[in-house]
Amino acid sequence: MPGAQSLAQQLAAKQREISVAEFFERNRQILGFDNPLRAVLTTVKEAVDNALDACEEARVLPEILVEISKEGPDRLKVAVGDNGPGIVKKQIPNVFARLLYGSRFHANRQSRGQQGIGISAAVLYAALTTARPTRITSKVPEEEAAHVVELLIDTQKNAPRVLSDELELWDRPQGTRVELVLKARYTRGRQSPFDYLKNTAIVNPHARIVLLEPDGTRITWERATTEVPPVPKEVPPHPYGLELGELGSRLKASSRATLGETLSKEFAGVTPRALRDIFARGHFSGKEAPDSLHSEDLERLLAVLHEVPLLPPSAESLSPIGPLLIKRGLRNVLGEIRPEFFAPPVSRPPKVRGGNPFVVEIGLVYGGGLPADQPMQLLRFANRVPLLFQQGACAITTAVGNLDWRRYGLDQKGGSGLPIGPCLLLVHLASTKVPFTSEAKEAVAEDPEIDKELTLSLQVVARHLRTHLSRRSRRDMAGEKFLIIQRILPQLAEKASRLAGKPVPDLTAVITKIMDVVAFEATAVAAANAGESALALEVTNYTPRPRVLELFLEMPLEAAASLHAEPAPDGTDAELGRAWWTLEKLPPSGRVKLLLRFPKAQEVEPGDLDWFVAGVDEAHLLGAEPLPGDWEVRLPRAIVEAAEGSGAEAAMSEGEPEVDYDGAEAHASLDEE
Amino acid sequence: MVRKPTPRSTKSSEIVLRAEALRPTIDLAKQVYQQLLDGEIPRMRLPLRTKQNITFQMREGVWRLGRAMGTRSARKQDGALMLLRTFCLVDFINEMAAENKTSTLRELYYISEGWKDGKFHSEDESNLLIEDLEVLCERLREDFRLHPEENGASVIGDLTLRERNRKGLVKTFNCRDDVGDGGYALPFNVEKEKIEFVKTGAKFIIAIECGGMVDRLAENGFDEENEALLLHLKGQPARSTRRFLKRLNEELKLPVVVFTDGDPWSFRIFASVAYGAIKTAHISHYLATPAAEFLGVTPSDIETYDLPSDKLTEQDVRALQAELTDPRFQTAEWRSEIELMLKNGKKAEQQSLAKYGLNYVTEKYLPEKLSDMGILTR
Repeated sequence: MPGAQSLAQQLAAKQREISVAEFFERNRQILGFDNPLRAVLTTVKEAVDNALDACEEARVLPEILVEISKEGPDRLKVAVGDNGPGIVKKQIPNVFARLLYGSRFHANRQSRGQQGIGISAAVLYAALTTARPTRITSKVPEEEAAHVVELLIDTQKNAPRVLSDELELWDRPQGTRVELVLKARYTRGRQSPFDYLKNTAIVNPHARIVLLEPDGTRITWERATTEVPPVPKEVPPHPYGLELGELGSRLKASSRATLGETLSKEFAGVTPRALRDIFARGHFSGKEAPDSLHSEDLERLLAVLHEVPLLPPSAESLSPIGPLLIKRGLRNVLGEIRPEFFAPPVSRPPKVRGGNPFVVEIGLVYGGGLPADQPMQLLRFANRVPLLFQQGACAITTAVGNLDWRRYGLDQKGGSGLPIGPCLLLVHLASTKVPFTSEAKEAVAEDPEIDKELTLSLQVVARHLRTHLSRRSRRDMAGEKFLIIQRILPQLAEKASRLAGKPVPDLTAVITKIMDVVAFEATAVAAANAGESALALEVTNYTPRPRVLELFLEMPLEAAASLHAEPAPDGTDAELGRAWWTLEKLPPSGRVKLLLRFPKAQEVEPGDLDWFVAGVDEAHLLGAEPLPGDWEVRLPRAIVEAAEGSGAEAAMSEGEPEVDYDGAEAHASLDEE
Repeated sequence: MVRKPTPRSTKSSEIVLRAEALRPTIDLAKQVYQQLLDGEIPRMRLPLRTKQNITFQMREGVWRLGRAMGTRSARKQDGALMLLRTFCLVDFINEMAAENKTSTLRELYYISEGWKDGKFHSEDESNLLIEDLEVLCERLREDFRLHPEENGASVIGDLTLRERNRKGLVKTFNCRDDVGDGGYALPFNVEKEKIEFVKTGAKFIIAIECGGMVDRLAENGFDEENEALLLHLKGQPARSTRRFLKRLNEELKLPVVVFTDGDPWSFRIFASVAYGAIKTAHISHYLATPAAEFLGVTPSDIETYDLPSDKLTEQDVRALQAELTDPRFQTAEWRSEIELMLKNGKKAEQQSLAKYGLNYVTEKYLPEKLSDMGILTR
């Protein structure tokens, strides 16, 4: 028909590139700019994540300054500066003003940012809500001056529009500062920049972070270590994680001569032996040109790659925080609430899911200023980035809720969900590819492999918590006895003796009968040499008879390797982290002291050491446990005999059962005169 | 066994007697000193003051402390503290004796502020300890120079008595003609050296739980018309009230009836008057009036007189169930009344009788009940 357009032509007229502005408008929520409160958090988060990544790559200790100030009603100026390597002038516009531009998307290693959306989305949001350009100052160490660039995003072309570009002298050797004016509102509280930076400080103990709030408040999170975490290595993809399309394109792009060479050099885990296996099972010669394989061949190759046993993916692409730094980070940031217990953090060996290595790390803090009647505080992290939203939809939350915490001493309604108690839990998932539930990267998606690792590590920290709680209740009981022997008994003896007209007798025998425990108390003491940590163990025989004690210590492996003790242990087993002593005969009320020293790097605390004693019943031990049977230690004869004797002694001291006059049931109700 | 309290006077010959009264407290201290010397954990054995450990004494007709013993030991914190307090108390009593002072129970509670870890945390705690000391030393708290405050219980009716007042003057007066509307208020010391009964025109005593009911009976002239003494118990009666009632009953040979609310707590008031209280079972023979009879309000009265009632609370039910295992209530009458109350789930106050008018209690209820009991003849 003349003049009439075909449907295809009609549609073609409507088909055009979607502008980034439109894309942004439709995806505000995913990008984290759906309201003024959230906009400031997302802006800070993207800028700080970039800054930390840049500093780590450059091997510098991050100094991050976040300044937030008011620029009129509903408007904030957000400036984030770092001491990273700087960005060369040519790249500044692309990094900040082009969506989906970045250096890390293609790298197969752990990093905070990935897609290259974050900071440019903030630039775009700023322009859309205030029409103000973003100002970037950046200096690389090779150049004398810093470049100051003001730019906007051309929303039609998804391209930077540079408004001005000047040189400026800067008082620091290198770094980057980004300054944006945007429609936003600032409060402190949950899901605020404050919360985000505080949690960031916990898992990045090597960073020093300063926040200037709009009202002028300045908060500093000092660094807790001067070690920069190792840069995760880029590793070739592991066949376990591959899908067909990617396998094809990788083979096509290969410059190697043969399939065999390509598989062993450009993929991880493929050993010569595995290679032979792959070729035999898949009927390949190995001499094929890598780009000669077509669909059926590719499918067959992928199938055998998934069958054949390969080396597990390397963990070098990951940067776990590690137990020591998790503890330091928690202590550094939570120190003011004075928790009574930091569980030894768990950092599991790397595991694989879909070809991507991952690591689960967990830290737990109990007591102090944490609220006892509230659900546990759960801090979730992925690749060292705090996850502040979508807690309920996160696989980490599910795993925590699925554990029956009642078995470990916390309240939990019906044995599932977040437990109630003065408890804070840190869970870090590090992976070359964290499976998020959405592009907003707020929650980890369910995955059986990750869930298994989460559950195992949660059980380990929960067991530490249970041990702590049971020791505490025994200490409380002992505390009652110490109150008796240290305060009540001396006053009682003084009064009774005076009324009887006699001098106060020696109370040693009475004291040992009341206590009837051998007490072990480990305390941190001032180190003789700077840079060491020193601990003292005081052993007091509060029992009515002399004791020869066989004492065993179990400690972290690193600590065992560098232990110095006075007196020297009678034996050690560095592999198992153990040392043991036979103490000289301790008379009733006798006391002996052990001094332990460790190099500074170990930071050993009393809570890191477990003490065991052979031959003494649990009821007569305070601050130590009976030696577990599975230690298979051959004990000296004297100890064995003592252990056999102690049962009889316990039975004898029981005597005839007595009714406790001051027990709850003994008294008549008080409603009678 | 427990002796009568030594008189409160200042005659020099009696100071020796009083020193004698304190000797058992020093013996306690010597006993604990010896334990310390022997390297033993300090402890004392005391008869348990529980409802399981009271036994009926045929001869005296009252429930007394049984033989079951408990141990107060410094092995536990509570026991150690009570032992410490015991000697703080003994020390204080001996100091008072040296200075010839006395102290009220409430004052003692405050005195203990200076006893470091021995200080009392409540008055119940100090009262319990004094009773413990009474049991241990076989003395009364008055022997230890400790006495309660006057508690306001009173008597109205034709009773002439002679009282030696605070100044040592002896006054004689009649509890109907010579006192105000409130009647004669009982002092805490009601022993012979303080109060002597001269004569009475009364034929029986009616002991009443609530002040409102005492006033009602007095206003209606019940005491004069029926030749009765009205004794206000003021809730759970103090030791002095019970002792006074026992003396009236025994010395003047007057029958006693007890008129209370109809609830589980009132049953316990009657039990402590007639059978002896558990907490003071060590001196029941000195305080209890076995001849006293329960007049009402009984659970069956609530039905018979169709009295306005309240529902039993959970505590009420628990109290009734506890009474079913209380040895003092193991008579057929009590069991059936308690079970009836549990069954009906109802309790009633004395004053619910006013449903039928102000005179109903004196013209109908009491005459009927008293003649059933053979006290009044119609």
